Amino acid sequence: MRYLKIYMTCLHTAFSRAAAYRLDFVLGNLITLLSNIIFPLVTVLIYANGAKFPGWTMWEVLLIQSVFSMSNAVASMICGSILWVTMDHVQSGRFETVLLKPLSPLFYIAAANFDTGSIGLFLGGLAMTIISASFTKSSGAWGIILFLLLFLSGAAVMCGLDLIMAAISFKWVGNSRIPEIFESIKEFGKYPLGIFPKAVQVMSALIIPVAVVGFFPASALLGRLDMYSLLSVIPCMLFFIFGIWLYNRMIKAYEGVGG
Amino acid sequence: MTAIKVENLVKTYTTYKRGSGFKETVKSFFKREKVQINAVDDISFEIEQGSICGILGPNGAGKSTAIKMLCGALFPTSGNIDVMGYSPARDRMKYVQRIGAVFGQRSQLIWDIPPVDSFAMNKAIYGISDGDYKRRLDEMTELFDVGEVIHKPTRVLSLGERMKCEFIMAMLHSPEIVFLDEPTIGLDVIAKNKIREVVSEMNSKGTTFILTTHDLEDVEQLADNVIIINHGKKVFDDTLSGLKNILGSKKIVELTLTEPFGGSEINGAKLIGRDNELNISLEVDTEKQPITDFLKSLTDHVSFKDISVRELPMDMIITRIYSE
Amino acid sequence: MMNFLRHKFEMCKAVAFVTYKEWSAYRTHSLVSVFVGPVYFVVQYFIWTAVYGDSSTLGGMEFQQTIRYFGASALIGYLTMDFADWNLQMLVQSGKFLTFTLRPMHHRFFALSQKIGHRVLGFFFEFLPCLLIFSLLFGLDMIPQHMGWTVLSVAFAFLMNFYVNYCLGMTAFYFVQANGIRVVYQLLGNIFSGALIPLSFFPEAVQRIMMFLPFQYTNYIPAMVWTGSSSIGEMGLTIPQAVLYQGIAVIFTALLSEVIYRSSIKRFTAVGA
Repeated sequence: MRYLKIYMTCLHTAFSRAAAYRLDFVLGNLITLLSNIIFPLVTVLIYANGAKFPGWTMWEVLLIQSVFSMSNAVASMICGSILWVTMDHVQSGRFETVLLKPLSPLFYIAAANFDTGSIGLFLGGLAMTIISASFTKSSGAWGIILFLLLFLSGAAVMCGLDLIMAAISFKWVGNSRIPEIFESIKEFGKYPLGIFPKAVQVMSALIIPVAVVGFFPASALLGRLDMYSLLSVIPCMLFFIFGIWLYNRMIKAYEGVGG
Repeated sequence: MTAIKVENLVKTYTTYKRGSGFKETVKSFFKREKVQINAVDDISFEIEQGSICGILGPNGAGKSTAIKMLCGALFPTSGNIDVMGYSPARDRMKYVQRIGAVFGQRSQLIWDIPPVDSFAMNKAIYGISDGDYKRRLDEMTELFDVGEVIHKPTRVLSLGERMKCEFIMAMLHSPEIVFLDEPTIGLDVIAKNKIREVVSEMNSKGTTFILTTHDLEDVEQLADNVIIINHGKKVFDDTLSGLKNILGSKKIVELTLTEPFGGSEINGAKLIGRDNELNISLEVDTEKQPITDFLKSLTDHVSFKDISVRELPMDMIITRIYSE
Repeated sequence: MMNFLRHKFEMCKAVAFVTYKEWSAYRTHSLVSVFVGPVYFVVQYFIWTAVYGDSSTLGGMEFQQTIRYFGASALIGYLTMDFADWNLQMLVQSGKFLTFTLRPMHHRFFALSQKIGHRVLGFFFEFLPCLLIFSLLFGLDMIPQHMGWTVLSVAFAFLMNFYVNYCLGMTAFYFVQANGIRVVYQLLGNIFSGALIPLSFFPEAVQRIMMFLPFQYTNYIPAMVWTGSSSIGEMGLTIPQAVLYQGIAVIFTALLSEVIYRSSIKRFTAVGA
């Protein structure tokens, strides 16, 4: 309860900051939105050249990618800044300031650095999802419930990835290229799962469940979800929990050594 | 021989008034209010070859602007600068080959590698021959006593060590004139003294130095001539002894008393400041009475729990010079 | 004249060497490329395997060529990337650019030498490992058919990228918010450089417009030359034609950068920083 209250206060601060620098806020959001929705262009161009992902219409593929963008936005609002803040604080030796707060360090960093810069991306992703969904046949209420369940799981995976990368940055100090690893792994979640070989499919459904970020929830909306896929909700939660555990472990180790 | 000749130097900046808030910003986008600032306002002086000239002045007085123009990094708005026959900003590429510069706040060393590698880079840039380079580097590292330091990565060096290396970097190509902008800022006493020592040493071998500073000690221990700039204007230009004649040898003594003191003078030293009842400052003329004598007798007059002795601050010097 | 050139060469070598040393401290960071590059490539491979299905050509390119294109595009990235724009912007904003006006070396030449040193490092720790992974692990034939043209084209891309980025960096002399301009350029670059998808997949009108913009000369053109394409894009450029256009673009950008540099220096020495 106390944590919820703190989180709300931080949220309030983040939004008043955004309101104070309106122009920066709008431009920053616009740039984040644009740079994150370039990749569906490839899909559009593929279909424009008369080719296709076998068994998928263009709007169905775009739906996967819209859901992916939306999930990405949610994760980066909640957890996105953890990686940057950790990297920066560890490198400059200021991480101690976080440890001085009478709060869970992970919670404190996430709350104090709520990223308002991804709101545009979320709204853009939502708009694209609605547009794409209107061009595909939908599966009704049941599909939407499954969608929400899977969408939240996917966002948890994204947060888990964020946390793992942040945890790595404790060890690999000053490597500003860590996020690139993160981005490249996410690539597997942006396309219909069937195009990948079986081994990759299993990996992205169960081990690093990036398929749950875009592909599974979009499939649920389209009513073409394989019910076995719901099992991947479990590895998603495990992945998220693993992220938190690893990050906290790194903090323990950091306290031990003392920067 | 005159090394530097400056005539009627002026530097005017045009800045725009900037509004805060979105509306003001948009408005200023279309119509901006111009503000003219004379950073350097009609200054003339000459500096002799082989001398050390200190340019003094409070922050924002225009001394950095002046030294940037002397280095060729800034075009004068009007007036003439002649350094060894060059017009610095116009002949920049040829000119900078023959000068050196240390800007206390702007490092030339490369952060992640040892200074000696940065030196090697400057060797190539200035086209220093192998023999000259080696001789000069050995000489400089010995003078500064940094033989081992230059092989460690720059980022692990102390501020003092880094500054010594900045000096070496700036003097490897044996410049005839060296500009120093706030060279001792933020350094501890030992490092300051070492740097001053080397500057005197290099000067005795013929290098001309021009230094800006707001540390009076730098000037007292190094300079032959002193130029003081305030609000962009030259307010003083004479030898160091000339400056001392005007100022006398004054020191400021600050006291924290245990009980209030009401008088206007203690043992011949004038009371010049009173922050509150217990914190006062006195001006002691050390020509009339040595500072040690004054301190010895001080306890007879007042009782205090803290004391500090320092030089006359820059703003006071300037008001003094004005009032002379 | 000989002496002048030798001095220039010595300067370039010294600066490049120092930069190489400086960045060597971060060479483990390059390992990120060795992971990320192949991962992106693998994803591309599966996408295009699925998309080609049973069609033999798409956007005028055969499947094998498209795959080689993406390999080449990644490798060219390692050989030509730089952040001259960011670097210069930081120097201007922090006021450190001043120290460069006090050295008898043109800052652009300094920056180019830095890039050479930085890319030599990239050659050993990004390009070579990825080339080996592509060739040996993925069994891709990455040897260009027209070695001479490919080398020339990559060299042009190297210079093109540098001059464009240098121009972008110089905007910091004029605008406080130079960051925005860089970000917008990068955004357009991501779409139109060809790293995302070969430009031959774009409508013809777009391809024609791109002839007059810098983007394609940094990645698309050299990657197409690398794959040995006999006819590039809708315009059906031959390799010598494409490289010629690239050369013209480089010369134009270099001249542009000189014009901007002169006016920037004038401004810098008039206003200071």
